[in-house]
Amino acid sequence: MSTPQKATVRVTHRFTASPERVFDAWLDPQKAGKWLFATPTGQMVRAEIDARVGGSFIFTDRRDGEDVEHTGEYLELDRPRRLVFAFAVPKYSQEKTRVTVDIVPLGSGCELTLTHEGVLPDYATRTESGWTGILAALAKVLD
Amino acid sequence: MATAPRRNLNQTWMALADPTRRAILQRLSQGEARVTEIAHPFAMSLNGVSKHIRVLERARLVRRRRAGREHLLSLNPQPLDGAAAWIDAQRAIWTARLDTLEAILRAEDRAAASDLEKTSRKKTHLEKKGRSR
Repeated sequence: MSTPQKATVRVTHRFTASPERVFDAWLDPQKAGKWLFATPTGQMVRAEIDARVGGSFIFTDRRDGEDVEHTGEYLELDRPRRLVFAFAVPKYSQEKTRVTVDIVPLGSGCELTLTHEGVLPDYATRTESGWTGILAALAKVLD
Repeated sequence: MATAPRRNLNQTWMALADPTRRAILQRLSQGEARVTEIAHPFAMSLNGVSKHIRVLERARLVRRRRAGREHLLSLNPQPLDGAAAWIDAQRAIWTARLDTLEAILRAEDRAAASDLEKTSRKKTHLEKKGRSR
C-alpha cells in the first residue's frame, strides 16, 4: 500500500475588522457556531469551546436530520496573531487534520491566512467515493 | 505530486460549480452510461443536458466513446487523481466560511454604527430642547 499523500490548502482573506475581533470570532462559541463548521441548510445544535492550549472543542451541525460532529484540540493560541488547531469529523474519518490561522494587521483591518494540512484520500477513495465526497462537499457550500 | 496548469484547474472548478453537472458526475461515478440514460432524470431537454455534458468534456472530467450508433460517457478520473479538484473544493469551503465570518462582522459594525447614530441624534435633540427653554 502506498504512503498517503499530503495535501495543503491555503486561503487568504482580508477583513475590515481588527485582528482582535477576527481572532476572537474563532473562539467565541456563539459566534463561531454561525460560520466555522456551519452549513447553509444545517443547524448548529452544539458549539463548545475550551479556549486554551490543549483545550478541546466540539461543533455539531445537524444536516438532513443527521448530526455531524467536528471535534478538535487547540495547539497554539497567540492572540491576535496565531491560532492552530487539529480537528476530525469522526463520521467521515478518524484522521485529524491541522489548521493554522495567521492574522496580520492591514490598515485598521487585517489579513488572515489559513493553512489546512491534511491527508489526501487514496486513489480508490478519490475515484469512486472520493467523487461522492467532493460532490457532497461542494453541494453543501454552493447550494 | 504534479500540478495541473492553472487554466485546467479553473475549467474543472467551473464545471463542478453547477448542480446539474455534479449530478451527472454522480451518476457516472457508478459506471459508464449512454447520453440518453444520463439525460433521463433531468427535467430538461436533451439539448440542455448535452450542453452540460460538453462543459464536462471540455474540462476533461468526462470521456465519450462510440459503440456502434451509441455514445457512451464515462468519468475521467484524471483531474481528480491530480488532486486539483479535491484541493479546489477544500479551498472553496474555507473561502465560504471566511466570507460568512466577514458578513457577521460587517453586520455587527452596521448595528454598532446605527446605535451610535440613534444615541447621537437623541443627544442632539435633547440639547436643542434644553436650549429652547
